[in-house]
Amino acid sequence: MKLSRIWPGLVVLALLLAGLEAAVNAGLIRRALMPAPSAIAPVLWGLLESGEVLEPLFATLRLVFAGFAIGSVLGIAVGLAMGWFPAAFRLLEPLVELLRPIPKAALVPALMLFLGIGETMKITSVSLAVLFPVLVNTLQGVRGVDRVMLDAARTHGWGPAHTLLHLVLPAALPFILAGMRISLGLALVLAVLAEMLTGQGGLGFLILDMQRSFLIRQMYAWLVILAVVGLALNGLFLFVERRALHWQPALRP
Amino acid sequence: MRLSARPSSGVVLVACLLLLWEVSARLDWMHTPNWPPLTDVLVALAHDTLTGELPLLVGGTLWRMAAGLAAGGAAGVVVGMLFATLPMTARLFGPMVELVRPIPIPAVIPPLVLFLGLDNTMKVTVVALTVFFPVLTNTMQGVAAVEADTLAMGRTFGIGPLRRALRITLPAVLPYILAGFRVSLALALVVAVVAEMIAGEQGIGHYLVMMQFAGRAPEIYATVLVLAVLGYGLNRAFLVMEHRTIHWWFAMGRQADG
Repeated sequence: MKLSRIWPGLVVLALLLAGLEAAVNAGLIRRALMPAPSAIAPVLWGLLESGEVLEPLFATLRLVFAGFAIGSVLGIAVGLAMGWFPAAFRLLEPLVELLRPIPKAALVPALMLFLGIGETMKITSVSLAVLFPVLVNTLQGVRGVDRVMLDAARTHGWGPAHTLLHLVLPAALPFILAGMRISLGLALVLAVLAEMLTGQGGLGFLILDMQRSFLIRQMYAWLVILAVVGLALNGLFLFVERRALHWQPALRP
Repeated sequence: MRLSARPSSGVVLVACLLLLWEVSARLDWMHTPNWPPLTDVLVALAHDTLTGELPLLVGGTLWRMAAGLAAGGAAGVVVGMLFATLPMTARLFGPMVELVRPIPIPAVIPPLVLFLGLDNTMKVTVVALTVFFPVLTNTMQGVAAVEADTLAMGRTFGIGPLRRALRITLPAVLPYILAGFRVSLALALVVAVVAEMIAGEQGIGHYLVMMQFAGRAPEIYATVLVLAVLGYGLNRAFLVMEHRTIHWWFAMGRQADG
């Protein structure tokens, strides 16, 4: 995005912040609920400067990345198997359809009883949330591979392993990546939720804890940090996706 | 899927897994009280349903979900139409929307609690906020997909702007809006439950957390089961409704994913 295209939006954002500042100072909004942005900024800066931000930030990111990696690898592997081998599809399809509609957020309490409130439980719940969108998209991608291309590969004497690696996987990649992008957002949601429900760990826990302790400025500061994390993760993935799919004409700007 | 007299390998696998669940729990292979047999879960489900506790809680949650879906969806459609028809508004307010969108939804609950308290208003708002973004995106896509030729033809035939909006634009955008709602429907249920888990003392989400504190595993699994069935059923019902409302869209050979 060009700067010339987004500057009107940035001006509106700046105006909104200024308006909020004025409204709080004029007493239109209760300071106890929404401190002025100028009061939140020093707290935010303090967290960043003292390095206090690092530990919770890394705790949350570790959950997100570990769960995302496990869920994605499993989802892609099972999805490829189900798409490629009809026997695997027949074997696993009813199970997947049964487990898929279970809201993964509602599983967190069950997992807490089972696995405690440590990292294992959190990473498990994140990977469960990631698994199914990736699996379903991979399956869809594999099934959408052009039959003519598959025939061509066979004509050229490609073995199944070679075909899977050099034809099916690249052809399914746009679908797989789309599933992974959806899952990345879900991973962050589940990580934050698991931290809130277990009452320990990273950014999610801190935001809830600050609210309950009535440290409102700190709460907003941590919320800003979390929003930046969400924005950065999404941006990072879009960048990776564009690099990985540069050969796809439709995605070229 | 083809119907055959013999159950497929997948159905057999599911049956075996369910049997394994029951046997492993009965014989306490996991050495934990938190792995209840399937039959206990079903008994808990039947019991809590018959006492009326579960239906009441589910009803409350569904009501909040529906209210949030309606409010957030309406806002998404209106803002989406505005953004798509007046590009200047998208340039002015788009960045603000893009900044709020990536915030993971459980994180907005604590500040909303401050402003709106713990009860219905807060939860409906959380659901509405979740629903807003997918519907907004889909509405904008829909308006962009309205064929310029069709609108020009409408103008040539002297159809006024209001009738053009109602008779040409709206039917063209509707499939996209409905697709946005369908995506949001699943999110709305989960988010309503999540909001209840984190704050307040209402609904099925709160029940779930209470049962976890009490260590009553059968009730937890029964609740998860109810939510899964509910999510699946809502999605099915919406698909049927979608096919009825925009049958002409599907008659044109388009897919449900718009």
